[in-house]
Amino acid sequence: MTVMQQSGGGKSSGNLYEVLDLILDKGLVIDVFARVSLVGIELLTVDVRIVVASVDTYLRFAEACNRLDLTTSGGAGLPDLVNGAVEGGARNKSKGALTGAADALKDSLRSDGEEERAPAKTRRRSSSSGDSRKESE
Amino acid sequence: MSTYVYGITHDSESLDAAKLTGVGEPPSEVRFVRADGLAAAVSTTPDGLRAKRRDLAAHQEVLVELAREAAVLPMRFGAVAPDDESVAAELRRSKEHYSALLERLRDRVEVNVKATHIEEAALRAVLTEDEELRRTNERLRAAGGGTPADRMAFGEQVAAALEELRRRDADAVVEPLSKHADQVSMGPPVDNCLANVSLLIHRDKVEELNREVGRLQGRLGQLMEFKVNGPLPPYSFVTEPGR
Repeated sequence: MTVMQQSGGGKSSGNLYEVLDLILDKGLVIDVFARVSLVGIELLTVDVRIVVASVDTYLRFAEACNRLDLTTSGGAGLPDLVNGAVEGGARNKSKGALTGAADALKDSLRSDGEEERAPAKTRRRSSSSGDSRKESE
Repeated sequence: MSTYVYGITHDSESLDAAKLTGVGEPPSEVRFVRADGLAAAVSTTPDGLRAKRRDLAAHQEVLVELAREAAVLPMRFGAVAPDDESVAAELRRSKEHYSALLERLRDRVEVNVKATHIEEAALRAVLTEDEELRRTNERLRAAGGGTPADRMAFGEQVAAALEELRRRDADAVVEPLSKHADQVSMGPPVDNCLANVSLLIHRDKVEELNREVGRLQGRLGQLMEFKVNGPLPPYSFVTEPGR
């Protein structure tokens, strides 16, 4: 696995999603200037921080643990245990609820069309659950 | 016609707006509002400007281009002034603050590193080190998963253990990176990452920082993945003028 290296040189918008929090939440704010209406997008930035700490997530964690084969846990250290976890698609399989909400946003930003916010929002909602709460910050 | 503001830089004859592509469709023209040795990169705000992918990218591109030449103070996306004159007035009013900040950020860039646990590896890690969790897991598995209430209680314990693991591993990531930085800014845990750290570094140190991330990757790559973005305009290191 390689470190994903992104450079500011050339067109850097390809990795826009990964710096979204900087563009939208950092940077200079001058109080005498207004900010364009970001209805939707402001919610998005907040939403990507939300861990879906809900019944669904808990159940999914429990099931994921049940599925893990820990029979080698006797004296083996972590590096041995996680061998293979990185490859073979295990990561994708285990993505699930944790990143689901963020993936929806990622999709909406990566799609080539001029995606309006409303559909992305709907999609995101459907991938998280109603009683999600903000992760402790 | 209001004025969209990208960022502030030192005024200079070499500033070239021609190569910059502004927000909006068709892309708005970028120009500079100059006052007292400072210059703000601006556009006429296009109708119906919103935070679309295209416009976020245009905002970012303008700043990346400017930062290539000289220090720039990036605005947060979406800053709109009533007109060019009010931008000039702001440059004059807070001239000292902006000049000092530009001076401090000279030849400095921001590099953002996000480290995120690989979920399955993290689950293994918490089960491996917590005997009680492991026993509960085995008990539930033997019981075909256990009752919904059992599973939920167990899942909640696992979630808490994962959170604790993130907290602990954050130090292992942030500390070695911080050594290379003039300044460090911790961002929110977007995408459930364990560390979202922005480093202000001299542009000559970007490679050095990349090597450090490479070392972390070698050491921790089975447990987490790293995303490095930069050099970026110093979004996380600009401060508002005090009034």
